[in-house]
Amino acid sequence: MSLKDLLSPFFVWQRAFEKPWTNMRPIEERPGAPAYRGFHINLADSCIGCGSCHSICQNEAIDMVPVEEFSGRPGDSGLRPRFDYGRCCWCALCVDICTANSLHMSNEYTWLARDPTDYHFTAGVEEKPWQDSELGYHRAEGYHLYPPKRIDMDMLTADESVQSFDEVVNGYSEEQAKLEADRCVECGICVATCPAHMDVPDYIRSIRDGDFETGLQLMYRTNPFPATCGRICTHRCEEVCPVGITGQPIAIRWLKRFIVDQVDSIDYARILDSEIIENGHKVAVIGAGPGGLSAAYYLRKKGYSVTVYESQETGGGMLRYGVPSYRLPDDALDKDIDYIISVGVDIRYNTIIGKDVMFEDLLGEYDAIFLSTGLSVPSSMRINGEDHPRVLSGLQVLADVARGKDPGIGRKVAVIGGGNVAMDAARVSRRLGADVDILYRRRISEMPADPEEIKESQEEKCNLVEKAIPVEIMDTGSKKQVTIKWGEAEMVQDPKGGRPRPVLQEDRMHTETYDCIISAIGQGSNLDFITPAVQEQLAIEWGKFTPGEYQRSELEKIFVGGDVANRTADAISAIEDGHHAARGIDRFLKPGAYAEN
Amino acid sequence: MNTLLDRLATDFGIYDISDRKPAITTLKVEKQQAERLIRELRDREGYTHLNFITCIDYIEQGIFTLVYMLHNYGDKSTLGVEVDIDRENAEMTSIHTLWAQAWTYQRELREMFGINFPGSPRQEEDFCLEGWDDIPPMRREFNTKTYSTETFGHREGRVSEDPREHMKAQLYPTRGGDN
Repeated sequence: MSLKDLLSPFFVWQRAFEKPWTNMRPIEERPGAPAYRGFHINLADSCIGCGSCHSICQNEAIDMVPVEEFSGRPGDSGLRPRFDYGRCCWCALCVDICTANSLHMSNEYTWLARDPTDYHFTAGVEEKPWQDSELGYHRAEGYHLYPPKRIDMDMLTADESVQSFDEVVNGYSEEQAKLEADRCVECGICVATCPAHMDVPDYIRSIRDGDFETGLQLMYRTNPFPATCGRICTHRCEEVCPVGITGQPIAIRWLKRFIVDQVDSIDYARILDSEIIENGHKVAVIGAGPGGLSAAYYLRKKGYSVTVYESQETGGGMLRYGVPSYRLPDDALDKDIDYIISVGVDIRYNTIIGKDVMFEDLLGEYDAIFLSTGLSVPSSMRINGEDHPRVLSGLQVLADVARGKDPGIGRKVAVIGGGNVAMDAARVSRRLGADVDILYRRRISEMPADPEEIKESQEEKCNLVEKAIPVEIMDTGSKKQVTIKWGEAEMVQDPKGGRPRPVLQEDRMHTETYDCIISAIGQGSNLDFITPAVQEQLAIEWGKFTPGEYQRSELEKIFVGGDVANRTADAISAIEDGHHAARGIDRFLKPGAYAEN
Repeated sequence: MNTLLDRLATDFGIYDISDRKPAITTLKVEKQQAERLIRELRDREGYTHLNFITCIDYIEQGIFTLVYMLHNYGDKSTLGVEVDIDRENAEMTSIHTLWAQAWTYQRELREMFGINFPGSPRQEEDFCLEGWDDIPPMRREFNTKTYSTETFGHREGRVSEDPREHMKAQLYPTRGGDN
């Protein structure tokens, strides 16, 4: 044995006092790679609780749980994902599908707890040290598990569309509809926003399955006007569609139309009819617009004998006389209405309440009444010369065209207003060969018309003049012309925080002569048919009803709905009002049938 | 590169040539030509390194696409050689004789997709799925969710709410549906 061997243990011990070459706490000093799939980060404020993360998770590691502070936000389920790290495998499918792009992963990967139940947390709601981490896995820009762009709709070009009253939108082919339906994540957020709460994800699924009859049945559960709404619905569902947050929303309206277009009306009875058990009660409906006919349909399905009173020669109300055929062809509207009639709804056309039939007689004769008379009286511009014979109302022009009558507008037209009636009156005028100026008192961005109507009217070369306030209508001496004086407006901030107000600039006046001026600044109701004694008992504000629960008025027999009783004044709201009134009337007349009473 | 691809097209019938990224080109070749082509690339064209072998399941078309990623250290180019094989009784010539490490990939492909590589060493042994008793999990007919539901334990007291039903209960309990 050499001396070196003898001494070596002492040299080893000497090392014990040196700085070690290994890291004492390697875990703390070794962060995950920049794109590491570590613990979840959810930007809970951007999340809308669509639950796509939950649906896609192959390990069932994600629950959707209510979080109070997000409850009731529009387009937000109020739920947030809660992760069970006992099951998560950090595959990041949840991050890849996240519609709101709120879910990410940090690069943090150590979390020590003694209690296994701790590994279960609502990301972004419970404080975690990694919540603000910038690093970790984020979905790459432009990467989507579903196509973010919608399938283009085949439409007439603006040059073609102004040539005739042919429908502008051609509708999807089956192949297109299936591709579009494939983009739906089936979250159901849209169902809450749809005024009628249609079963949107379910009927979209029926397209994927190629089972259009089931699709039709699903639509009729909540809406007996699917052919109509598939064309002209205000489609608020699409505004909240989560797919629209980082891409374009599902074309829910066009998909609805696609289903209806696949089913021949001859087959409706076979697909939709169910046995109607007469219950002996009689209900009168006043107004055969979407609200009235929706109520009539659902009441009839519940076994009521329903009579609808309509002042015009045919049904549909504003859908017939206010929506031009290039947006809603008569045969589409008739497909809906004919089926409603076919289940046994009796419509008395050309019948004016207060003249042909007395309102108080209806009150005596029927067990309940649903009023849905709409807004049929054009609002006044309240300027001098408004009663000039060359000042026409937008509603009248549209109704004339709907009846195939020439409204006699001439070749040069000014339309006053910024709502859908104004846009439609303008676009109809273009089709009748006129040059059109649209004068609107506020900015284009504030127009109440649907954005696509504004866009299409511009494409059809209607000249939109914003911030233009009509001041006076003047006679030209010719029976075929009229002059309008209008002034430019400046938008002035409302000190109370309301929307900016247009203020007339007296020094910037214009006068222009037209063949006619079409006034379309809004509509009011005509409730003269209701006897004053009854009117007094109904809460009517600004010509509108203020319904209570189940659309009921202050009088227990009278239910109200549609434009004359809601703020939104669109077809789908009227349809839901009618359906809801039918529920209310059923509860009123058959109180024993409902557990809730 | 183009001269090379032209020659390979003539000699091996390669097709569907596409530049995926700078310096990564993919090409397709028939199964019968694949081993000969890869050998040629390794021995004569400088593609001496096998990056990896992987597989894509095109269940709708009834095929697996095997991808052999080869690298040339000389010009720093990468070639992806793609080979379509039948999904049914999937089988492919082993290339462990070209690169010894290929058997590892082939063993993994056998375990994950069920592809057979006759002659490849230790084919029958478990690779990472010890005790696996189901169909190969990367085959697309394998239902991951069902497997995980049936296989792994569930934490007590977990509840999840459906967004649509939750919103109905909160916002419009008396509306919607058949009533």
